[in-house]
Amino acid sequence: MNFAVVLLALLGSVWVLAVVEGWTTTGHLRPAAPLLSGLAHLGRESIVPRTPDRVFFEAAPVLLLIVAVLGAAVLPLAPTLVIADLATGALFINAALAYVLVALIMGGWGPNGAYAMIGGWRFLGQLIAYSMLIVMPITAAAMRAESLLNSAIVTSQAGLWNIVYQPLGFVLFFIAATALAFRSPFDLPTAAGELAGGVEAEYTGARLAVLRLARLVLVITLASATTVFYLGGWHGPLLPPWAWSLVKTLTVSSSMLLAGHHLPRIREADLLGWCWKLGIPLALLNIFVVGLLVLVVP
Amino acid sequence: MFAQAFFVAVFGLAAIGFGVAVFSTASMVRSALALLFSQTAVGCMFLALQTEFLGVLQIMMMATEMSIMAIFMVMFMMDPGGLGGMDMTHQKRFSLGAGVLAGGTAVAVALLADWGPVTAQAPDAAMQTRALGMELLGRSMMIFETAGVTILTAMIAATAVAIPVHTLAGNGDKGASE
Amino acid sequence: MITVLILALVAGAILFGIGVYGALSQTNLVMIMMGVELILAGALVNLVAFWRFLHPEIYAGQMFVLVVMTVMALEMAVGFGVAIARFRARGSVEMEEAQDLKG
Repeated sequence: MNFAVVLLALLGSVWVLAVVEGWTTTGHLRPAAPLLSGLAHLGRESIVPRTPDRVFFEAAPVLLLIVAVLGAAVLPLAPTLVIADLATGALFINAALAYVLVALIMGGWGPNGAYAMIGGWRFLGQLIAYSMLIVMPITAAAMRAESLLNSAIVTSQAGLWNIVYQPLGFVLFFIAATALAFRSPFDLPTAAGELAGGVEAEYTGARLAVLRLARLVLVITLASATTVFYLGGWHGPLLPPWAWSLVKTLTVSSSMLLAGHHLPRIREADLLGWCWKLGIPLALLNIFVVGLLVLVVP
Repeated sequence: MFAQAFFVAVFGLAAIGFGVAVFSTASMVRSALALLFSQTAVGCMFLALQTEFLGVLQIMMMATEMSIMAIFMVMFMMDPGGLGGMDMTHQKRFSLGAGVLAGGTAVAVALLADWGPVTAQAPDAAMQTRALGMELLGRSMMIFETAGVTILTAMIAATAVAIPVHTLAGNGDKGASE
Repeated sequence: MITVLILALVAGAILFGIGVYGALSQTNLVMIMMGVELILAGALVNLVAFWRFLHPEIYAGQMFVLVVMTVMALEMAVGFGVAIARFRARGSVEMEEAQDLKG
């Protein structure tokens, strides 16, 4: 029962996000566009490149979708509305999202094409940059809750949201989440102008529909994780808890889409330099400050 | 209990199957990703054995590590796509004998030893995480700090070894610094 | 209960055997390291099975598992650093060619 409700909420959020994405790209608000374009993809010819690595070529979009749904499975929408409230839920999200890299490497190597391969290996470099910036802010959020249970992290924010308690962690997590979902300005694997579509270039037809759906579900999962860790989850004055979760998730995911829209794509070397020389010391400072606050402030 | 035996057996077979695929496939990237899925199966075995934190940690770490191994294979190996049909092994019979001897001895010890009374109930996952944290920062604090310093040393050592020599020394003493 | 312990130990033993075969039969440094990773994975399975079924109240067992995971990551990191240096010096990381001490 929980399973069906959460999946339905996930699909609904994906649809809203697709409409918002279409609105930012074309300027027109078309509610039926995602459904129609999905059906159009299913109807198109499915071209398989010459001598692909068949196992990887087929598995990459499916793995990406499974990973995104698994990440959403441990995030609570309301006090009892969660598919699996694992005792190490905050770490499990990280574990599931590490397989985004595996899916993109498979999708890069599988089609036996130069641009796809470059896109796949570029994402590995991107992961080296953002991976610490995802884990350390989650550590700081779990420090305040004194538990890795996602629902415990939400209930620890009943008085004061984490975005006020640890703003540095929020900024770092937001940037790293945008990099994980390979959205601009971090869309190196699927660079539209530069790599002719990169990892997405060789996929057509039904596989492309699954890949695009998986990308949107990944953004929703990361936005939901941001609301659970930093924006107080389901806490809010008037609406029922699940409505607050959905509103916050959609706000964060739309801002992820819009934030990088006007920024140029960041170079691999610059991303690695900024993340390791500035981002990780800031993340460690965040952990230190949160530790002080947790121990000193009653 | 039967469910636990079933899942441990399934994930164990998956780990062994992927492990065999590591050395039997010709494509190098397939080999690296087969090792990745073998380690993921080991992590799922940990989850089936009710050590949730260790299982999730293994799954997370091995995804990143084995992907890095995949790119190193593409960099350093002669036939990453596996379409050339090269044989890259040596001392086959010796290593097969050594592998069978090592694995067989371990299996024999596992089957023949008397392991004593087996505890039926495991602690709850949240309690395990808490107790592991207490152990880590309490009794095993020395090990934890040593591991931290060792990680830092290994990072510096690996970076120092990997930096090209000609960017460190001047251009004059090329012969001495190789 | 005892059968699950035996199952886990046998799985760990077979992984160890496959790792030994791989580490001894491969010529390339990266493949040898993959064999070593399998050996350590077999050891990890044994450690977790022993902790869960024989001493679930002593958390030093889980500590040992964390240390072995750390060692896996560290030997991979330093090993790849050495591989990069060797590749730059000689052009390949084949261990068959690395049989002389000098030159």
